[in-house]
Amino acid sequence: MNIFNQAGRYFALMLKVFSRPERHSIYIRQTFNEIENLGVKSVGIVAVISVFMGGIMTLQVAYNMTNPLLPNTLIGLGNRDSLILEFSSTIMALIMAGKIGSNITSEIGSMKVTEQIDSLEIMGVNSASYLIMPKIIAVVLMFPFLYILSVFFGIIGGLIVGPAVGAVSVADYINGIQYAFIPYYVTFSLIKCLVYGFLIASIAAYFGYTVEGGAFDVGAASTRAVVNTSIMILVWDLILTQLLL
Amino acid sequence: MIEIKNIYKSFETNDVLKDISKVFNEGETNLIIGRSGSGKTVLLKSIVGLLEVDRGQIFYDNRDFTKMNHNARKKLRQEMGMVFQGGALFDSLTVEENIRFPLDMFSVLSAAEKQKQVDYCLDRVNLVDANKLYPSEISGGMQKRVAIARAIVMNPKYLFCDEPNSGLDPETSMVIDELIHSITVDLQITTIINTHDMNSVMEIGDNILFISAGEMCWEGNRKDILHTENQKLQEFVFANKQYQRIRDERINDR
Repeated sequence: MNIFNQAGRYFALMLKVFSRPERHSIYIRQTFNEIENLGVKSVGIVAVISVFMGGIMTLQVAYNMTNPLLPNTLIGLGNRDSLILEFSSTIMALIMAGKIGSNITSEIGSMKVTEQIDSLEIMGVNSASYLIMPKIIAVVLMFPFLYILSVFFGIIGGLIVGPAVGAVSVADYINGIQYAFIPYYVTFSLIKCLVYGFLIASIAAYFGYTVEGGAFDVGAASTRAVVNTSIMILVWDLILTQLLL
Repeated sequence: MIEIKNIYKSFETNDVLKDISKVFNEGETNLIIGRSGSGKTVLLKSIVGLLEVDRGQIFYDNRDFTKMNHNARKKLRQEMGMVFQGGALFDSLTVEENIRFPLDMFSVLSAAEKQKQVDYCLDRVNLVDANKLYPSEISGGMQKRVAIARAIVMNPKYLFCDEPNSGLDPETSMVIDELIHSITVDLQITTIINTHDMNSVMEIGDNILFISAGEMCWEGNRKDILHTENQKLQEFVFANKQYQRIRDERINDR
């Protein structure tokens, strides 16, 4: 199937997804359930990965700053800006594409192959809207929070690892993370997070909703969803960086 | 009453349904029978609108379903109930929540009235004690009964069942058949069942359509079926040795 056919089907599905819900109260309840399932339950992995990421980055920056003319405060600064600009948004989005994306594809795909989606349609429910819209809203709402948490834990990771291995003192690190802070970097990354959240949930849902066959096909669809979402995240990273920075 | 007129359906070059016409009466269990791959499921899915027919018309009490727009179809679907081959229950909901789902989505009943309706349906399918269990915690036969309860909770005018006995033991199959038949008669609804189970045919087949390779081959009722001269239907019915014996005994009695 060519890329234009896929894109056409994706946009047609999105039109169906964002049509008027049958009963708002049920959709709102579903959205809160998805916020818990997809967002709140991701806090743990975001925290763990971010602590390690911050620690590793601090070591990498310190390793590359052997010049005695460069102040050690740049280690904290380098870690902070890398986290804010790229790691906590784009790298976290790639990781979430694997975790949340495969979850969404396999859940919706399993419902498709076990005729649960047909069952919704027979009842007169807009299955695309009922199943996908709450997930998209939940991920778009939660991703900026996960980003902020990731930045926080990344900086904590650097603060733990840097002084622990003697790469930087606590005072230099803290001075570094406070030095020359540009608030727009956060705004820029929060905008990226909203786009990434939409891409992760909608592309994964598309691959789940259009799956045909059985369990094997659901697994294959999950893989395709993660690969395609990752590519689209990087494409949009490039576009938004060029547009907004 | 549901009437289908000159239905055609194909997938690319494969003609699956060819000129099928039939009237399905209310208060009767209407059966679509045929071998696996004969087009039964495609026909049923076309009747309910999960698949679009290429040509032909489908009337629900003289309302032309094929000419309806999306919203009109959605409204009509609230008069339908369907039992899928695998049950198609929502895994994340309990038995009770599964049955209540259509009411939550579409009815304006109070919580107490909804509960009363759910309890009635659970009682009707004899599953009162399983209301708090999840689909994965109950047997295949119970899942089918929950699917039936969910299908009738909105008091549908039309009930569709796709292979309701597949994967069930003969005793449970009989329970499901009797349940569907009694619901059809009591509620005076139009029921269409897809099956290749000859026991179901002989138990509840009020009005039977036999299709072979997508073509309508025979229609009649369960009394006629054992006396049929139709070669293809004979091959289908008497593929079962038990029915061969019944036929041979009848011939010997003459």
